Amino acid sequence: MPSLGPWFLRAFRGLAFLGLLGVWGWNSVFGGPALNNLVIGATQEPDQLNPWEGAADTKENILALLFIGLTYFDVHGNLLPGLATEVPTFANGRLRVFYDEQGRFLRQEVDWTLREDAYWSDGTPITTADVLFTFEVQNHPLIPVTFRTFSNKIQEIIVKDAKNFTIVYKEPNPFYANPSGRIGLARFYDIAPKHIWEPIFREAIREAEAQPEKAAEIITAKFLGADPATGRDPTKVVGSGPFKFAEWVKNQYLRVVRRPDFFLRPPGPMENYVQEVIVRFIIHEPTLLAALFAGELDATDDIALSGYDPTILAAQGGGMFRVEVIPSGFIEMLNFNHFGHPRYGEEGCALARDLLLHDVRTRQAIILAIDREALAAAVFPGAIVSNSFVVRGDVGYNPDLIQWPYDPERARALLAELGWKDTDGNGILDRITPDGRKVEFRLPHVTTPAPFRVRTQELLVEYLAEVGIKLEPTNLPAAVLFSTEFINRGSLCTWPGIIEYAAGGGIGEVPADEISGELWADDPTTPEPLDNVPRRANAFAGSNVRGWVHEEYDRLHFAALNEFDLAKRAEIIKKMQVIVNWELPFIPLYERVEIMMSKVGLANYLAGAAITRTPFWNAWMWGWVERGAVRVY
Amino acid sequence: MLAFLMRRLLLAIPTLFLISVVVYALLALKPGDPIDELRFGNPGFTHADYERLIKLYGLDKPWYIRYWYWLSRAVRGDFGPSRRYGMPAAEFVFRQRMPNTLLLSGLSLLVAFAVAVPAGVWCALRRHSFVDYAVTTLNFVGISVPVFWLGILLIYVFSVRLGWLPAGSLGTPGVAEQGLGAYVVDRLRHLVLPVLALSSIQMATWTRFMRSSMLEVIHDEYIRTARAKGLPERAVVLKHALRNAILPIITLVALAIPGVFSGAVLTETVFNWPGMGRAIYDAILANDFNVAMVALMFISLWIILCNILADVAYALADPRIRYD
Repeated sequence: MPSLGPWFLRAFRGLAFLGLLGVWGWNSVFGGPALNNLVIGATQEPDQLNPWEGAADTKENILALLFIGLTYFDVHGNLLPGLATEVPTFANGRLRVFYDEQGRFLRQEVDWTLREDAYWSDGTPITTADVLFTFEVQNHPLIPVTFRTFSNKIQEIIVKDAKNFTIVYKEPNPFYANPSGRIGLARFYDIAPKHIWEPIFREAIREAEAQPEKAAEIITAKFLGADPATGRDPTKVVGSGPFKFAEWVKNQYLRVVRRPDFFLRPPGPMENYVQEVIVRFIIHEPTLLAALFAGELDATDDIALSGYDPTILAAQGGGMFRVEVIPSGFIEMLNFNHFGHPRYGEEGCALARDLLLHDVRTRQAIILAIDREALAAAVFPGAIVSNSFVVRGDVGYNPDLIQWPYDPERARALLAELGWKDTDGNGILDRITPDGRKVEFRLPHVTTPAPFRVRTQELLVEYLAEVGIKLEPTNLPAAVLFSTEFINRGSLCTWPGIIEYAAGGGIGEVPADEISGELWADDPTTPEPLDNVPRRANAFAGSNVRGWVHEEYDRLHFAALNEFDLAKRAEIIKKMQVIVNWELPFIPLYERVEIMMSKVGLANYLAGAAITRTPFWNAWMWGWVERGAVRVY
Repeated sequence: MLAFLMRRLLLAIPTLFLISVVVYALLALKPGDPIDELRFGNPGFTHADYERLIKLYGLDKPWYIRYWYWLSRAVRGDFGPSRRYGMPAAEFVFRQRMPNTLLLSGLSLLVAFAVAVPAGVWCALRRHSFVDYAVTTLNFVGISVPVFWLGILLIYVFSVRLGWLPAGSLGTPGVAEQGLGAYVVDRLRHLVLPVLALSSIQMATWTRFMRSSMLEVIHDEYIRTARAKGLPERAVVLKHALRNAILPIITLVALAIPGVFSGAVLTETVFNWPGMGRAIYDAILANDFNVAMVALMFISLWIILCNILADVAYALADPRIRYD
């Protein structure tokens, strides 16, 4: 055979050379103490930086580098002043609530004073003009702000001078000083820079009003997609927070640099603390972990490593990283379809009715049939079994609830009491319905395809099989599962059995406003029945997607929402938990934990107390110990 | 040939129209809308907010009305804004994502081709040799191993254990400030692992095809004649054998070209490479219809064009093929 060796060898040598070029290329220094910067890995990226619109914890994180609100939560859950000089309270006279002679609410006034040393990152003073402008945008009908729940309660904002203003509420707002849009200004960090946003806002509105048929697209492109939101022109991204925007390479990283003029300061010289923060967006968790262990990252955010085993991570980190396990403020739960209840009549879900999910004994039997301790340990390392809709550590948490045990015997007894028995010996319980049909206990369970949820399904199949219930698991993408066409149509049996997801349960926020908001059914002040239960009659509006109805719970819910005294509100919420704990409109599985990793020399990088548990709450304090940063926490 | 080309190009227009109707309908009719993610990400979000935003974004209209609105602007080159990124959808696709995809997938295709053709020829000429067996074994590994798993393995070995190459992403933040040389080397280093992973399957498949195709050709009489004429072996292989043996590979390459534009969602995910595959996947999940539409329509167009291109390439490579 003739030889072609030299020719082919040359080609292969060429390729090998290219490979070596890559391998021997110098290793860039990524960050850390050497550069006095911090590189954080995150699996999610915000769409844009607009303060009025959006969701996702990551946006809250990123914007916390650039903005600070009127107030913020410290690591212990104390509300501290941010842009404001102090947090308004009854005690300091900045909060006033007026009632008429019959005790009916008239109005609520909250006085705020902006700090004299509060400046936007381009040096412009932060004033009440910014507050008024932010509120104007928040209320404009053409601007797709995320929610107006709290801004709708505002009657007016009275400006006294450049630094003092009063918000007058026409409805009670006990959360008048909380972050995350509860004050009623912007959704993210309350106040936006007027001098940057006003020309953009006016131009977008003018164009949208001139072409109403294209209004949504004009607002999307010209307002939501304006330079201050996208970072295309870095000088336009102006914030009130500890860092100044530098650049944003979409789907790669966002870089910010320290502001020497920020009014909150760490102990000691500011040069001892990180001067630059880079948040790298790496959507694939194993890749993010690889980058961390390869030294490309200094820390992870509070979302990236959710569900990972902290013990294994600590071992893999080889002593170079601190692994923080944080109660997340979210409770994983199995939500029942209650639309089989007789109150829904023919409108309800027939399969849920056949399975008697509306009967409390069915739900109690199911919780007793599940070894939640073992399940939590298996699917979410570090998670704690829950029996409430409020997480431990929250001021409203009730420790005196029934701690539902794993007791399959009691579960079987309860099911037998309801008429379930295995008549054909196939291992699945059955019963005869009042109209003479024989039904088997085949319980549909739907959730997202997240690995820990799929594992939960596998375990639930085994536990429930022990008591004669055949769990039938399915998975849907989150975009479908949480679509209104699906989750809000339980009455049409889109999910006839159980839907599993996690919901917020307090910590630093207000539980009466979180998961409990999904449980109330009827607002007694409106003529419509069951306002909050999505049904055909109300075009499937409302957040009580389970269809659970409890009059006393509703009464307490509205009492809590109108109670300004935190201690009294906590007592009401504890009573609400007693009802939920017995009725089990959902089975609380466990309180989730989040995992954060950071290099051991990084000081003051720790989870905050707000519901998102963001570690970005005190970015001005981040620093490397070997560069002289002082550990405050 | 010209008439054939014109006929095929004219047929492409109704095909694209039908594709656009089907894709738009599928996107619009799937459960979920852009507002849902806001609803679950904000505890204060009420149904009134939902109704307000649905109306504001024009999502309260039937899908065919929205489709007509989209089509009437798309034919004028206006594909609307990306709801997620707040920029024109076409700009996002063609300026932000397409260059990354072309770089990664194009380079992978080139590397796969550059390795597969000589390797296939080599193995055919040295049939049953040690190298032939070794390459065949590697081919089976390349075909069998899922790309995402190979990607993770490469990252583990070369990034975590050896620390030679970065774990993913386009480049190191801020490296451009260190000069052009640093920037280019940094980009190359970030390309090595994803290109290796992405080209593995094509490399393996094409090597197998090239080997068997070459084996068929190399024993033909015209090759024996060429050798009998005293032509150098290199000329026999490259000018006579390879030209005929490469025909099946042309088909495979032509079919692979649309993939260069559509990206590779798994590889892009594992290596954190912001390309078209990930853009389409994210756009569909996030109900960013304009981005999904412009990307999918562009890929459809390319598939149609590449099929035509493959037919033309056949005719050029083999004079016996005519499209009269």
